Amino acid sequence: MRKRFAAPTLIGFALIALSLGWAARVGEPAPDFTATDTNGKVHKLSEYQGKFVVLEWTNRGCPYTQKHYNSGNMQRLQREWTSRGVVWLTVISSAPGKQGYVSASEENAYLKQANAAPTAVLLDPAGTLGHLYDAKTTPHIFIINPKGSLIYNGAIDDRPTTDLTDVNGAKNYVSMALEEATSGKPVSNPTTRPYGCSVKYAD
Amino acid sequence: MRPSKLEIRRPKTVGAVQVTMVLWRGRSIVLLTACAMLALAARSNAQLPSGPHLKVELISEQATSSPGQPLWVGLLFRLEPGWHIYWQNPGDSGEPPKVQWDLPAGFVAGPIRWPQPIRLGGGSVVDYGYEGQVLLMAPIQGSSSRNATSLPSLSADVKYIVCRDVCIPGKAHLTLSGPAGGDWALWRALFEQTRAQLPKPAPASWKLTAVSDKQHFILSVQARSQVANASFFPLEPSQIDNSGPQEFSLTHNGFRLALKKSDQLTKPITNLRGLIVLGPGRAFEVSAPVVSR
Repeated sequence: MRKRFAAPTLIGFALIALSLGWAARVGEPAPDFTATDTNGKVHKLSEYQGKFVVLEWTNRGCPYTQKHYNSGNMQRLQREWTSRGVVWLTVISSAPGKQGYVSASEENAYLKQANAAPTAVLLDPAGTLGHLYDAKTTPHIFIINPKGSLIYNGAIDDRPTTDLTDVNGAKNYVSMALEEATSGKPVSNPTTRPYGCSVKYAD
Repeated sequence: MRPSKLEIRRPKTVGAVQVTMVLWRGRSIVLLTACAMLALAARSNAQLPSGPHLKVELISEQATSSPGQPLWVGLLFRLEPGWHIYWQNPGDSGEPPKVQWDLPAGFVAGPIRWPQPIRLGGGSVVDYGYEGQVLLMAPIQGSSSRNATSLPSLSADVKYIVCRDVCIPGKAHLTLSGPAGGDWALWRALFEQTRAQLPKPAPASWKLTAVSDKQHFILSVQARSQVANASFFPLEPSQIDNSGPQEFSLTHNGFRLALKKSDQLTKPITNLRGLIVLGPGRAFEVSAPVVSR
């Protein structure tokens, strides 16, 4: 059902993006997309014009992702920024049979158990959205401003490890970028090297 | 190699690991083979591999440390088939092993000498690392006033992440205790083999430039000898696109590689640093000055 509508649209955007040699580049318009969340709701990026949007790639089997969920760091970020009007979209691009691939109901159960608070979780088993943004790792974060431009592409913070203890004292690039952007300042670190596990795309 | 393809070989994998060990410790053939059979029997097809997927030990090249001479020690990683650890620049994902040395007073450790890595993965995420077996060696320098002594007591805390289609972090506390059965020739051979795999300085006759255009670095090498093919491994993250194609071509006086710039590269760079690899055991460390076109 979902595929009938969303997938062709996404593939269309991906083909346009590929043919123009785009990736999601900071300072340029973020590629528009349509994707379906775990409750069957369709999200279109351009409908969020006027709001900041965070895209967070995830794979709950990945130890780098676990560092941020088991420490409560990711949930804290999701709560803080959604309460301040930011749209937080978690994206799962794991292909069927790969680590992190989940059904909608499995993910909803996990969100409850982990006390996670994104606006929605987008299911992207074909990897279309992942490839459109060239998401490399879990986690990998993109931030889009109210005008639809990409203002951040990179890591969640500056400690590329799996150690929970590294969450404290890390420079959180996501909060820094959102604090700056929401108060009208330019983002001081708009591009960083994302770290984590590879996104588990289809072969 | 696509790690995920290895899933079908899982039952065999266990046997292969044991066979590797058989080769390592010639004396224990019968016992270890039996272990392999038991391990095979104990594992169901559906079961995911458990355990650390690698063995790591701390070894040294010499039985004694001589004053004024570095003692070469190393972390010997032996990995299950299909699993890998990472190079000093891991590429798009993962991270290199990290070591914290615990040395006697008066000793200092030099940096790890990273052997030539391989390219891992094939799609839009490409990493650099090692499969099979790798020795990460480092020099330990003692004070020059000491007399030749037996092995200093040293240990290392190692943290690593080992990946196949999934990643598992691990750590180990290792102490240096000498080879099993006092077989120093075996350990010495490992250091000699590894030295042959270390990147060398670029030949003095090479002249390098990296021309920067909007999307590429065109790395040109003037070289006297004929080169059939070459690939580039970036020492710095975020300079080139790891998954981008590397177009090799011959020029009238050498060769060049067209390397796609990384999307994470936001500022001009003065030098493109990395390894130019011509083949196994033929990796050269280069730093090419960047000129804009």
